[in-house]
Amino acid sequence: MKRQLVLRLCLTLLLWSVAAAAQSPFAPEVKGPLSQRVVAYQIDANYDPPTHTVTATETLTYHNLTGQALDTFPFHLYLNAFQPKATWIHEAHRDGNFRTSSLANWKPEDYGANDVSSFEVVGMGDLTKQMKFISPDDGNPDDKTVFQVKLPRPVAPGQDVVFKIKFKATFPEVIARTGYKRTFLLAGQWFPKVGVFWHGQWNCHQFHALTEFFADFGTFDVKVTLPKDYVIGATGVQVADQDNGNGTKTVAFHAEDVHDFAWTADPNFKVINSTFDGSVGQVKIRLLSYDSHERSWQPYITCVRDSMKRFDDWYGPYPYAQITVVDPPHGAGEAGGMEYPTFITGDSGWYIPKGVHLIDLVTEHEFGHQYWYGMVATNEFENAWMDEGINSYTEVKVLDSFYGADASIMNWMGAQFGEREAQRQGYLSAADIDPLYRHSYQDMSMSDYGAISYGKTATMLISLEAIIGEQTLRNALHTYFMRYRFTHPTQEDFMRTVNEVSGRDLSWYWNQAMFGTQVLDYEVLRADSNPVNWFDDNLKEKKGETEYETQVILHRKGDFIFPVEAVVKFDNGDIAYEHWDGKDRWVRYVYRKKAQVDSVQIDPQYRVTLDNDYLNNSRTTASQYAAVNKVGAYWMFLTQFLAQMLSWLA
Amino acid sequence: MADDQKGPVAAGFALLWRRQSVLWWVFVVNALCGALGAGPATIRTARALSHSLAGQKLTNGFDMGIFIELMRVPSVDLMRYSTSSYLFAFLFVLFMVLVTGGILETYRQDRRLDTGDFFAASGAFFWRFVRLMLLSIIPFAIVGMIYQGLSKQADHIGDRAIADQVGIFLSLAAFIIFLLLALWVRLWFDIAHVRAVARNERGMWRNLWASWRITWHDSRHLFRIYFCISLVAWVTLVIGLVIWAHVPPTALPLSFFLLELIVFAQLMTRLWLLASATTWYQRHAEMASVEAVIVEVVETTPPPVQDLPPADPGPELPPAEA
Repeated sequence: MKRQLVLRLCLTLLLWSVAAAAQSPFAPEVKGPLSQRVVAYQIDANYDPPTHTVTATETLTYHNLTGQALDTFPFHLYLNAFQPKATWIHEAHRDGNFRTSSLANWKPEDYGANDVSSFEVVGMGDLTKQMKFISPDDGNPDDKTVFQVKLPRPVAPGQDVVFKIKFKATFPEVIARTGYKRTFLLAGQWFPKVGVFWHGQWNCHQFHALTEFFADFGTFDVKVTLPKDYVIGATGVQVADQDNGNGTKTVAFHAEDVHDFAWTADPNFKVINSTFDGSVGQVKIRLLSYDSHERSWQPYITCVRDSMKRFDDWYGPYPYAQITVVDPPHGAGEAGGMEYPTFITGDSGWYIPKGVHLIDLVTEHEFGHQYWYGMVATNEFENAWMDEGINSYTEVKVLDSFYGADASIMNWMGAQFGEREAQRQGYLSAADIDPLYRHSYQDMSMSDYGAISYGKTATMLISLEAIIGEQTLRNALHTYFMRYRFTHPTQEDFMRTVNEVSGRDLSWYWNQAMFGTQVLDYEVLRADSNPVNWFDDNLKEKKGETEYETQVILHRKGDFIFPVEAVVKFDNGDIAYEHWDGKDRWVRYVYRKKAQVDSVQIDPQYRVTLDNDYLNNSRTTASQYAAVNKVGAYWMFLTQFLAQMLSWLA
Repeated sequence: MADDQKGPVAAGFALLWRRQSVLWWVFVVNALCGALGAGPATIRTARALSHSLAGQKLTNGFDMGIFIELMRVPSVDLMRYSTSSYLFAFLFVLFMVLVTGGILETYRQDRRLDTGDFFAASGAFFWRFVRLMLLSIIPFAIVGMIYQGLSKQADHIGDRAIADQVGIFLSLAAFIIFLLLALWVRLWFDIAHVRAVARNERGMWRNLWASWRITWHDSRHLFRIYFCISLVAWVTLVIGLVIWAHVPPTALPLSFFLLELIVFAQLMTRLWLLASATTWYQRHAEMASVEAVIVEVVETTPPPVQDLPPADPGPELPPAEA
């Protein structure tokens, strides 16, 4: 009997440990905690699909690790951004639109809201009446995206405080990374989230149209009750799924060492599972898509798996047990292309031509955020470039490795377009507008924010490779990731790490690329050869025998100083390589040889992507008409085609 | 097989083939307009690339980055030169309005007109066809509005449907309806053009009304002709572009030839439509109108009156009794 009891106990323990292992939020070889856990959220949520609302109870345990007593706590209520007088709407309307959304047809039924009905602090009573909306960034009295509560007594350093909050989230029709579309729901930024005590003060910005989020690491235990025919996916791993017997079910999720929690639900979701074998064990890939997107399933899985492999090899391991990938339905573009911890949304469609790498472009980018936003949790309100920009750079590197540098976005109908060029063109549209160091939410406009945060950073880092080398920069990013994962590094931390790994003082570069708005533009101003004995009346020029003096002048047109390489080619096959520090406005190179110059090219590998104008980077002595003829032929065809189309109407 | 035994589509093509000089001239003018329209942009490109190695990215493929550079860099600013393309496209439209009279007269007579006759016919109908062109704005605008309405409805339904395909197919259906309606309007106005030339009609409102009745009356037959020929145009366009996309990027002469072939095919099908419309009109509408005139004459002329025989006086009656 006793033996049986022991056996039963062992079996129970074994089953329990297997179940616990299966429910671990980490990859098999990872053990937490990985971060300094400041917050612990427990949320019990009820989703009502007809009204697109969630009523929930949130219990937040805040560990005061700030080293000082805290008596005031600010919270984000992001969904209140989708109200007519909110700062978010004001900024989005000012700039014309937001991502794919036009506010022209914005209706009251599209408004979103977070309503807190009860705010209690354990041991201090109901403080609902103490809640006060604040607008630390612009003083907008109608913005209700941040509220703060002053406690009756401070929370001492090292102590915990427990908040119990009852709230209702009303979702808008998909906008700005959250909301519903038909039966689909993406629940992002849906619960009251405490600000970050950072650098000796609370950092809790209002929700701005230009920027994203910033939060502390911790644990999340979230239960969602919803109709039982719904398929649900979320941050972390699913730990329970209980049928309530009344047509609903309650699904529980658990996540550790993350700083946000998002979930999605739709009865029409199709679940596709796969795995990735990483350096710290197997990771589950869970794709939520639709039958009509069947063509996209394999590209999604392949892209996630290949991206994970590149990141694992180059920057560091993905330590979580799962990555959930959401393929939003048609018409829900605003929900696409977004990142939350261990949870990303992509973008696809019923038909995407072969050769257009839209799925890879979006999916890789969002997966990259798992590193530069999810684990290296920078302040996106203030330094969006540290997430979006570094991520855009790694996106260029990963997509280049998939499809080649010149065709990583598109190789279709005879035309090619590479991601590095797309980032560069984005940057050049606003090259002299905003410096990177400026708080991102204060950038001039939506398009300028994109050009600077994404394009300029990626372009700046690609150009940096020309100075320190591609491998050194990769090593620097690896060091930066490993050193600052699960923390909140600053831009100084990033620059310091690159300086350290490269063994160089790159202040001259950071001063221009990070803190300045100088434009970089080099040109070949002159390249010609003349006989040395030009004064000889009897001179008969003969190839290989006549001596020439070749003059090459390189000119720095822009104010951005950058060392460049130049290649000078002669008609006898000789090649001269020149290195110019670019400090002066121009430099002259003179050659005397029995050959004439053929061509001069600055940066022949197109590595200095910050250069504003590639067209003037080279000069040839012979005419180059092939490209001109091609452009002319295509232009002529388009004119002819337009002409015959219009004449059809006449 | 004699032309009168062929269907209007085949007979129209035979007529187009016999009078192919018209097609070649139209193509030459179109190419000239294309070349002149592209001229300023090409010159500007030459200034930027004729001594630059950056163009290699366009030669060995077609790098969109360099092309965007050509449009973005202020010293080149290629998009500014698209105006000349619009201008020369418009001039080609005017040219087509001008020569449509000559083309239709050539097809109607099925003989090579000398230059004088061709342009005399062109000039004679120019203003009438300008009026027709302006009048065609009305039905084309109505068709456009119908398309907008259908498209909006398709979006509305598609937005509420779970499957992507619903919206896509509805939008496609709306576009096909738009295309067919536009084709019908084109057919109607082509018949108006043909009729105006055949009857030397001066009143364009009257002409349009008569053409509407003709087109409506025989719409099934006529529309089939137009649909078949238009199908050839659409298919050749798609096939041409697919082949062109597979041409090696450095084979510019072949690429240029294919693009010109595509334009040529489009112009050819347009003139084929006109030739077929002329053939059909001559066979049906003209015959019908001749028959109508005969019937009218028959119905309105009283039958010849025969001389009546002299009346029989009959027997004399006896005198009445007093």
